[in-house]
Amino acid sequence: MFSTDDSIVAVATPPGRGGIGVVRISGPESRRIAEAMLTRREPLEARMATFTRVAAKSTDVIDEVVATYFPAPRSYTGEDVVEISAHGNPVVLQAIVVRALEIGARLAEPGEFTLRAFLNGKRDLIQAEAVADLIAAATPMQARVACDQLEGTLTGQISEIDAELFSLIASLEASLDFPDEGYHFIQPAETSRRVAVVVGKIDALLSAARRGRVIREGATVVVVGRPNVGKSSIFNLLVGSDRAIVAAVAGTTRDLISEQVDLDGLAVTLVDTAGAREATDEIEREGIARAERASGIATLLLIVLDGSQPLSRDDEQLLGRTSDRSSIVVTNKADLPAAFEREGGVSVSARTGAGAEDLRRAIVRSLTGEESLRDSAALSNVRHIELLTQAHTRLVAAQRLVDIGDTPEEFVLADLQAARAHLEEIVGARTSESLLHHIFDKFCIGK
Amino acid sequence: MTSFDVIVIGAGHAGVEAAYAAARLGCSVGLCTLSRDTVAHMPCNPAVGGTAKGHLVREIDALGGLMGRAIDATGIQFKLLNRSRGPAVWSPRAQADKRQYSAWVSKALQRQPKISWLIGKAARPEVKHGRVAGLVMDDGTHYGCRALVVTTGTFLNGLIHIGPERRPAGRHNEPPSHELAESLRSFGFDIGRLKTGTPPRLHRDSIDFERAVREGHFVEERGDSVPQPFSFSTTSGLRNQITCWLLHTTERVHDLVREHIDQSPLYNGQIQGIGPRYCPSLEDKVMRFPERERHQIYLEPEGVDVDEIYVNGFSMSLPRDVQELLVRALPGLQDAVVLRPGYAVEYDFVQPTELRSSLETHRVQGLFLAGQINGTSGYEEAAAQGLVVGANAALAVLGKEPLVLGRDEAYIGVMVDDLITRGCLEPYRMFTSRAEHRLLLRIDNADLRLTPLGYRIGLTDRDEWARFSARQDRHSRNTRTLERTLVRTEEGARISASERLRRPGIVLEGLIASGEVHLEFEDVSRSLEVASIENDVKYAGYLRRERASAERTRRQDRKRVPDLFDYARVPGLSREVVQRFSQVRPETVGQASRIPGVTPAAVAVLAAFLERSAFSEADRA
Ligand SMILES: Nc1nc2c(ncn2[C@@H]2O[C@H](COP(=O)(O)OP(=O)(O)OP(=O)(O)O)[C@@H](O)[C@H]2O)c(=O)[nH]1
Ligand SMILES: [Mg+2]
Repeated sequence: MFSTDDSIVAVATPPGRGGIGVVRISGPESRRIAEAMLTRREPLEARMATFTRVAAKSTDVIDEVVATYFPAPRSYTGEDVVEISAHGNPVVLQAIVVRALEIGARLAEPGEFTLRAFLNGKRDLIQAEAVADLIAAATPMQARVACDQLEGTLTGQISEIDAELFSLIASLEASLDFPDEGYHFIQPAETSRRVAVVVGKIDALLSAARRGRVIREGATVVVVGRPNVGKSSIFNLLVGSDRAIVAAVAGTTRDLISEQVDLDGLAVTLVDTAGAREATDEIEREGIARAERASGIATLLLIVLDGSQPLSRDDEQLLGRTSDRSSIVVTNKADLPAAFEREGGVSVSARTGAGAEDLRRAIVRSLTGEESLRDSAALSNVRHIELLTQAHTRLVAAQRLVDIGDTPEEFVLADLQAARAHLEEIVGARTSESLLHHIFDKFCIGK
Repeated sequence: MTSFDVIVIGAGHAGVEAAYAAARLGCSVGLCTLSRDTVAHMPCNPAVGGTAKGHLVREIDALGGLMGRAIDATGIQFKLLNRSRGPAVWSPRAQADKRQYSAWVSKALQRQPKISWLIGKAARPEVKHGRVAGLVMDDGTHYGCRALVVTTGTFLNGLIHIGPERRPAGRHNEPPSHELAESLRSFGFDIGRLKTGTPPRLHRDSIDFERAVREGHFVEERGDSVPQPFSFSTTSGLRNQITCWLLHTTERVHDLVREHIDQSPLYNGQIQGIGPRYCPSLEDKVMRFPERERHQIYLEPEGVDVDEIYVNGFSMSLPRDVQELLVRALPGLQDAVVLRPGYAVEYDFVQPTELRSSLETHRVQGLFLAGQINGTSGYEEAAAQGLVVGANAALAVLGKEPLVLGRDEAYIGVMVDDLITRGCLEPYRMFTSRAEHRLLLRIDNADLRLTPLGYRIGLTDRDEWARFSARQDRHSRNTRTLERTLVRTEEGARISASERLRRPGIVLEGLIASGEVHLEFEDVSRSLEVASIENDVKYAGYLRRERASAERTRRQDRKRVPDLFDYARVPGLSREVVQRFSQVRPETVGQASRIPGVTPAAVAVLAAFLERSAFSEADRA
């Protein structure tokens, strides 16, 4: 059943554009969930914008936000809603969503806020077109799956895993329901082995998750480097317009500037930062602090060096500090005579545009690995990851029971069936009737 | 004209429970049957129980029904199936002496003063203004009634097949009901056709069992050394009196089947009805699973001093002479005499989506259906529906709320919900895998789950209630004792016995045997009560999780859909979904969500629409 009485969360603003993004939480628990992630201890007041911070446990990001609580029924969905406005960086927004999921929200399906608004009489169904797809889709996931080829491949893989689990469950169920059939449907060792296979496959999918999230949600690429090396120039080169101010004065860029760019079909959020050095004033100090936080959550760092100047201590320190991060060293100002030799990295001239294509390709390769984008099935959203993780947990529990050996099969089955239910939230549910079909087709049952 | 509160047509396993339950609720009951000799008859295998079916019997018993007591009184071999597994899937099964079984039930009904026998053939219900007013017999006799329960088994347009022979009949040698079938059709019910079968019966004296065992053809199958009763009220008297025998088919038998397959009505197109796949005919076993070298066959005596031997696993519809050939091809049966050939029977059934959760039809008020007419197979499934239907017919007459059991409360609840929500494509049999909350629905706690409910509506009498109360108190005392008794661990720490029990490898019998805890039990039900407590303590985590998930479903099941609700009024629903809803007419949002082909969001939209219109109606009021 499509639940309409739990609390859901999602980024409510379209991705990319704009400096501000909004994460919306709707449902009876929304206020509790929001308050649990905000650093401010006092409860949220109705309809008052509260300036505070979000502490996102999993990534250690702390960002400033404005949180507003809209009690039911005067809200977008007609339920209790908390809207959290944050810096528009998708990674920050995603981190807030993940935090909300950890506290107990469920990721909203596409159109689900609108569905709730409709259910609560806030909107006409005819207006809420996104809802139509939802109503037509057999599972909430299908609505999303239908629109994305990549997810199709993924669903295929989860389907296969589910089918394997299903057939294992059928054998176990058969031995419970048909105890005097004269043959054993499955032995514990075999059960354990087959659960392990399924666990292994889910592991593989989950470890592909990081790469998958890059594909679906885009990566955050942060440009860092000492002042005046040409970070903003490179940022503009990749964006394709003069978005950032470029000047010969060191310390030009003070705040984070981000822009959504498409690199070979890959959605990338590019972030320009203030040059790293001893700050000369309060604003710059804050800018540098933000630059550090941004590089902390970057999927990929572009470490810019000025090729026309010998490497400075600031450069060396930066390279040292980021040695364990996924990064590309970009030696800029290739149009000027080189002041040092350096292995690896990419050489460009932001002024002439030379090497821009190499840089683009290097970024894509580094974000996606060597595999071609189109064929790789990958976990593409937090919800998939969450469901697979839950399935994984129950399967591991089942396997432990099987291996210990003194727990009756029906408890093992309770875990296996729960795991199956999680997978089938993604790929569509099978009924107990289809389980019996499977048993009868496969085994000659009955007297 | 003679009138009754409730008339029950058919005195099979559904009919007798229906009549008995309605009478217990204080209604006057007319029980209409062709003959008193076939009351609670077992036309198929002479056995009660089995996986999930045994659960149904325990539940029937917990609700004051007959079946559990009847089989305990007349069973001749008892087994608890799945003993090596957990208590949630333990299931009792027993061979019955079929004559004694029938006689026992007959007597129980005769002792019930509220029940009158109407011997004869029912022709058609009398319906006035869309509600039942009485019953017309085929000799023209009229009886008045306020509720009519139809439990006619395979009699509706029954057609028996034995090879090319075709005979209209409800069961062996009994006439079918055409008129009743036609009158039901005239109300507009969605009627389908199913098929079931039965194996040949052999003469006991024509088989040399000892020799066959000696020569290794048969293996003796005996009952449990300590037989477990079906009924919560049985305290003694269970006796294993017979042996059954296990043998196997051979390649030669399979070859013979293949050789004569065109003579099988199942394989030459003569039979249209759909048979149960969990109970395949011999033809199906051989044709569909050619890789199986042999299939199991059980020889089961139909009573202590009955000549017939039931050949379980050998049901077929081949011609008589081929059946004889096949029987004699079985190892050890070379001289067997076939008393009666096996046959296939096709019959009409009413799609159970025509029914409400009370098993009353949507179309005709006061008309209730139970048993095979609803597409189920099995005595236990029939009896369970009979009990529900009898209670509900009576409750309707008394103007009270119907008895509707939840999917997390009883296998009976699972079955009724499956039937009315999904309909039947093949004969419906109960399986434990159909019950998603199986862990909660055990045979040991059937009474704890259901007896209080039954007592509230009047199904359970005072004596039974007193016995139950004692047992319930004993159960809570035992549970408390386990929590309060401190025992020592290997490491010397003192922890509660229940905590100790949660550790792997620790069993309650062990704690009792070592004298660490002292609990009280009744002798006959001891092993079940021990299992009951042990299970609740040991797997408390699983049970808690199960209850939580059941509660989530319950919330949806509490949201009611009004009678005669017009689904076309709900915006956003596709035409197909509106059609599915209108066919099934779900009574709750939960039931709506279980209808095949209905999407989750469609259900959410329905739920919200209902909530909003409830608000606006409240506003208007
Ligand atoms: N010759 C040459 N000059 C460049 C190139 N790229 C940038 N410059 C110049 O270097 C100076 C600094 O460029 P910015 O892009 O503002 O440098 P930045 O790293 O963003 O500096 P801050 O924001 O102050 O940290 C400007 O005068 C640019 O015109 C290049 O490829 N070749
Ligand atoms: Mg700059």
